[in-house]
Amino acid sequence: MLSAEQVTVRYGRGRQRITAVAGASLALAPGQRLGLTGPSGSGKSTLAQVLALLRAPDGGRVRLDGQVVTGAGLGVPRQLRRRVQLVWQSPRAAVDPRLRLDRVVREPLIAHGEPPEAHSRLLAEVTEAVGLTRELLTRYPHEVSDGQLQRAALARALVLRPQYLICDEPTAMLDVSTQASLLAALADRQQAGGAGILLITHDRVLADHWCDEVRDIRDLSLRAQPGPVRV
Amino acid sequence: MTGTKTSHAVTTTAATGPEPGAPALLVDGLSVRFATAGRVVTALLGVDLRLAAGETMVVAGESGSGKSVLAAAVLRNLPGNATASGTVWVRGEELSSLPPAAQRRFRRRHVAYIPQSPATALNPVRRVGSLLMELARARGLTGPAATAALESALGALDLDFHDVARRYPHQLSGGMQQRVLNAVAMVGEPALVIADEPTSGLDPDLVEATAAGLSKLAERGAGLLVITHDLRLARRLGGRLALLYGSHLVESRPTERFFDAPAHPYGRGLLAAMPEHGGVPIPGQPPELTALPEGCPFQPRCPVRIDACDGPMPEPVPVAGDAPAPGWVRCYRHHRGGGDA
Amino acid sequence: MPVGAAVAAGVLAVLVLGALIGPVLRPARVDLDRVYAAPSLAHPMGADGSGRDLLAMVLSAMRVSLVISVLAAAVAVAVGVTIGAVAGILGRWADALTMRFIDFMASQNHFLFAILLVVLFRPVLGGQGAVLLSVGLTHWTTVARIIRSELLSLRTRPFIAAAIGGGAGRWRLFRRHLLPHLAPATITAMILLVPHAIFHESGLSFLGLGLPAHRASLGNMLADSQHAIYAGAWWTVLYPGLVIFALAASVGTLGEWLRDRTQPRWRSELQL
Repeated sequence: MLSAEQVTVRYGRGRQRITAVAGASLALAPGQRLGLTGPSGSGKSTLAQVLALLRAPDGGRVRLDGQVVTGAGLGVPRQLRRRVQLVWQSPRAAVDPRLRLDRVVREPLIAHGEPPEAHSRLLAEVTEAVGLTRELLTRYPHEVSDGQLQRAALARALVLRPQYLICDEPTAMLDVSTQASLLAALADRQQAGGAGILLITHDRVLADHWCDEVRDIRDLSLRAQPGPVRV
Repeated sequence: MTGTKTSHAVTTTAATGPEPGAPALLVDGLSVRFATAGRVVTALLGVDLRLAAGETMVVAGESGSGKSVLAAAVLRNLPGNATASGTVWVRGEELSSLPPAAQRRFRRRHVAYIPQSPATALNPVRRVGSLLMELARARGLTGPAATAALESALGALDLDFHDVARRYPHQLSGGMQQRVLNAVAMVGEPALVIADEPTSGLDPDLVEATAAGLSKLAERGAGLLVITHDLRLARRLGGRLALLYGSHLVESRPTERFFDAPAHPYGRGLLAAMPEHGGVPIPGQPPELTALPEGCPFQPRCPVRIDACDGPMPEPVPVAGDAPAPGWVRCYRHHRGGGDA
Repeated sequence: MPVGAAVAAGVLAVLVLGALIGPVLRPARVDLDRVYAAPSLAHPMGADGSGRDLLAMVLSAMRVSLVISVLAAAVAVAVGVTIGAVAGILGRWADALTMRFIDFMASQNHFLFAILLVVLFRPVLGGQGAVLLSVGLTHWTTVARIIRSELLSLRTRPFIAAAIGGGAGRWRLFRRHLLPHLAPATITAMILLVPHAIFHESGLSFLGLGLPAHRASLGNMLADSQHAIYAGAWWTVLYPGLVIFALAASVGTLGEWLRDRTQPRWRSELQL
């Protein structure tokens, strides 16, 4: 179980301070497909980064299979980080523009010291699952389309076989066919590995169609109005 | 080789000025190629479009289909490594026949462009009012005339000009920013409005605000060209839908008719991929624009391909029963002897 | 390649080629019969106070000045990148401390500081080493600033967070994801420093604080010609001066062109 308990995140200082997430609680079970919807600026992406252990909450805590995770980013032990992976909305921003796609997908394996002889097999497996051809893997990010780049970003997140996958509007920039194909690949991998997936999206129809359960971020906190409040 | 017309029409309209009743946008045989790092990217191939004043046309396609190049090509705003052929008339005027300064002037006066992200389109350190006045000036309006035009444009979208004008962009909500941009497009009644992915990344409320604003533009007589991957937005806007696939327009239909019965197999695939219709992806991958297949670009993925599909790109054929305006499709299944798909 | 950059590349190529093969083709000999000889067909730049052919002197001086300037720029870049990287990566107090130190350095007259360094280092390192070190140690601050601000903006990019999520540690993050992005800025900064270093080498040598007097550097030549100008031998000032200008201008133009070219947003013109 990956859970956020009463998570609060604020941005800025003093008079500029903005509460992006106010006491939100959410639990994601292994094998579950949980949808999270809500309007722009309601803190969905911030909550995603907290759950992915990349941002420390200002209040509340994150629990990974019972263990409270303190700190964020580099402060979290590598072995914990690999269990939760995040897929970002914009692959252009989230993929290092100077790395070839095969390197993008391989990078987590190297960082985690996976035995090099296993790399090629794992790489081939995961890239085939997301529908990337061998030729595409030899290109740089600026040489592929958004859809192809998002496939690589998804492969990068899946190659470590995470227990929990947070997808922050992964298809918001993509056409319906690419969206459907990406989500089908995700569903296949989930059936094989049993990961818990949190799908964050604006698209209520998509969430209802793809997820077992859908929550609205405005219903996650005990307090009434968690939206961004300018002070 | 592809069966498209390679048109180099000699225009007579440029000399005589805009003819009355000229379409807001007329595109004839537009092809755009890019030379990048030893490869040639064919972004558009033989694209024909006709958009009357007050009409809405949505060009839909997937990422990498070349659709974002269309806006740049119409605005003659292509990067230096691009070569374009074919002809584009805006309001009866062929832009390429004008000297560069006159082109810019014409564009500022008669064409409005609604960019992808409202947050980046509004300069954060200037009050909205000064931005609006500057835009009005570009469309040839100054002083009280500008104020009146802005009042009317913002009023049409339920915004109070004087209230909005004294604020900074960050003091407006996302929906209001979006409506301001739509309103700006109305000022001076431009002949052509181009919106490039106007709803990318927006939540449903903002999409609705944007769609309402865009519809208003068409009602006021502008030709509205919307480029998007969002089929729901296309449906909401109505008008006409053109499908771009592998640099070709493959289908152009009254929007309502398209959603009732798409004619091209690619169109049927797209509809089936929408979550509300089951979310079934089209098998295979979109073609690389560096290596487009001969003839129909969809043919390698097509579930209903026939032997004729090995041939050159099929010519457009009318789709039976389309009303009010006729629609066409470029597919051998609709050609005589091809059998209905 | 724009015309300006192409011309600069051509000029620089001629100068560098001249510096490389010139001293071989045209060795300078003392000839007291043609002391301060005016420019002629045989000696297009005239001769200096020892009757040496000025063209030959300029060519070998250029070689010395170029080598020293490039090395000095390299010293400045090495120091600047290290300090900028420490500030940009450690952040907080390390960053604050570094920035105040850089501010202090920037507020001083760096030519005076360079003179002080030369005086300090000359006994230990000799004239050449002292000039190298002093120009290097007075010019790293701009590099450090550039590197630091690049790092600060890079650190907020999602792909860095994505790399952290993928398991990268601090060192891997720096070497694999940050350092490659610093390369263009670093290379450009170094190239743009070279003309500056040329001026400083000339300046120090002119003051007699640079290279030993027997090594012909462009600055030494100018210093020598101080006296010649009273004798009306204008060519001894004009030609070394022109060469300093041509070197600095061509390297500078090329560096600016490179800087504009390596900005990624200009590179990815086409986004489909």
